[in-house]
Amino acid sequence: MTTPALSRHGPPEGLGRPLAGLALLLGLAVLASLLLGAGEVTPTRALPVLGGGGDDEARFVVGSLRLPRTLIGAAVGLALGVAGALLQAVSRNPLAEPGLLGVSAGAAFAVALALWLGASATTLRVAVAQAGALAGCLCVLGVARLRGLGNDPIRLVLAGAAFSALLAALTSLLLLFDQRAADEIRFWVIGSLSGRRLADLLAVLPSLALALAITILVARPLAALALGERVASGLGHRPGRVRGLVVLAVALLVGAATAIAGPIAFVGLVVPFAARALAGPDIRRTLWLCLPLGPLMVIGADIVSRLLVAPSELSLGVLTALCGAPVLILVVRARRLPSL
Amino acid sequence: MSLSASAPTRHRLAGLALLLGLATGQSALAATLETAYGPVEVDDDPQRVVTLYEGALDATLASGVVPLGAVTTRGGDGVARYIDDYLAAYHPETDLAIVGVVREINLEAVLAQRPDLILAPPQLADEQYALLSRIAPTIVPPSQPLGPDNWRDESRLYAQALGREAQLEAAIAEVESRAHELAEALAEAEVSGEASLVRWMPQGPLVMSERLFATGLLKTVGLEVSDGGLVNDRGVHSDPLSLENLGRVDSDWLFLATLNAEGQEALDAARTSPAFARLEAVTNDRVVPVDGQLWSSATGALAALAVLDDIEAALLTP
Repeated sequence: MTTPALSRHGPPEGLGRPLAGLALLLGLAVLASLLLGAGEVTPTRALPVLGGGGDDEARFVVGSLRLPRTLIGAAVGLALGVAGALLQAVSRNPLAEPGLLGVSAGAAFAVALALWLGASATTLRVAVAQAGALAGCLCVLGVARLRGLGNDPIRLVLAGAAFSALLAALTSLLLLFDQRAADEIRFWVIGSLSGRRLADLLAVLPSLALALAITILVARPLAALALGERVASGLGHRPGRVRGLVVLAVALLVGAATAIAGPIAFVGLVVPFAARALAGPDIRRTLWLCLPLGPLMVIGADIVSRLLVAPSELSLGVLTALCGAPVLILVVRARRLPSL
Repeated sequence: MSLSASAPTRHRLAGLALLLGLATGQSALAATLETAYGPVEVDDDPQRVVTLYEGALDATLASGVVPLGAVTTRGGDGVARYIDDYLAAYHPETDLAIVGVVREINLEAVLAQRPDLILAPPQLADEQYALLSRIAPTIVPPSQPLGPDNWRDESRLYAQALGREAQLEAAIAEVESRAHELAEALAEAEVSGEASLVRWMPQGPLVMSERLFATGLLKTVGLEVSDGGLVNDRGVHSDPLSLENLGRVDSDWLFLATLNAEGQEALDAARTSPAFARLEAVTNDRVVPVDGQLWSSATGALAALAVLDDIEAALLTP
């Protein structure tokens, strides 16, 4: 989980214990994700597979179905968790969540547009989703910078909700225009980890790596920016450039996650929220905790989505929304709202 | 409406014998049908028919009447392809107006056709009925629990409303003899076994009920149809089946309903999923891509003939 560049500094002081605890939980979640499913391969049948044995059916289910979705879940959770933390730090708004602000909707709309224009679902997706996410990011932050909006977190979320609704409407307009592509798009606008292939994950790994590298680069200036623009400038950072880099990283992360799993809301809200609760508001500390927390939430939700309506499956987005909505209400009701 | 129109007439005529004559004359021209909304009186020979249900469109055409307007098929911009084919073959000059989708009827478009008969789906909302029945006599068949033969009763009611019972009975008889022939031909060619009907989605298949119209026809020609106990009483299909449970729909024949035009494309897409590729029906090359509009949405005599054609083409052609 720790990239070499991050471990150069090592986790900040006092984070060792929560990090170790979360890593242990994540390990358990991964194990559970391999052992539990909607099918007839029960934990007792799946366990021998981990040791290299097991029957044919169990080996197929664990190796070709559960392992890919677990790995993809880890990547998606990591990307969305980190993106949420970055977006919240740069907009100084605890409600800034890629899903709520329309960044995911931008990515989804871009993909729907590409499919409608005749692209094949397997090839174009990643770059297109990332471009859409970038456009969504810039639009919403542009709106947020309008006079009087910047200081009110809830207004930013309202702007994002309006923007998301607009994009969702445009996406369904495309569905109306082209019923033939509709099946493909409709499958894709529902967030899920099922049926995705490892090849999809490999396709987004380069951009994930790039985004994480940018994140490492901007973590310190971003923390300085939290103290105020003048302080940051005084420390030799250039706020404009830092913001630009953050937006780029968020677009890469959300675009990559959306390209493999479809839009999954609220992960970017819940994960940084939990991270701040554990480690305080410093972005350099929260980012560390987002690394295990994001995968933990997505893999956990995915396990529940398999078990709840077996032998069928629920869509992942439904479950993350179920966990996310209460957190959203909690954040909105908290008194120290604009504290970032 | 007919009451308020006839009241002044009665005053003016004022003769009992004449009134009786008028009444008997009317009853020769009109029929009273038992619908879900009670008895409805219709003219004997309706000229301007609008169908708001795929089964009603099928029954109307099978009765030899071309409606003015119809609703789209599920997931399509127009009527189902088999209807298009039928119209092209028998009524090439027809220009069928689209008056909405099944769930959302465009009342203005219906009104614009100035219909004298509206053939509506079994589960029409009360509010819709209230509005539609003011435009023209509206025939709503009583709703029945999901079953493969519901279309017969529904079609008969529609045909009765059109005054074309004989034509429809002939169409039903044709379906029966065709099914019988095909069943014998299949038995002769020793084609048998289990079949299931699914719609493929990358997250997993949607399993179609064994009580559906098309699956009923598969049974009629001698295949065993199973939905693996996955479909509940309410619906046509369940949530997407987990890929881990694909084995439940594995059978001798897998009918793959697609809403996309190219069945082969959908099959190729499904094949990229490792869970699909290892199904026995797939490794034995016994997957039959079929038109989802026809197989999962349509009902009626013409649809039955088209489905039987599909079955014959897939199972009997060497």
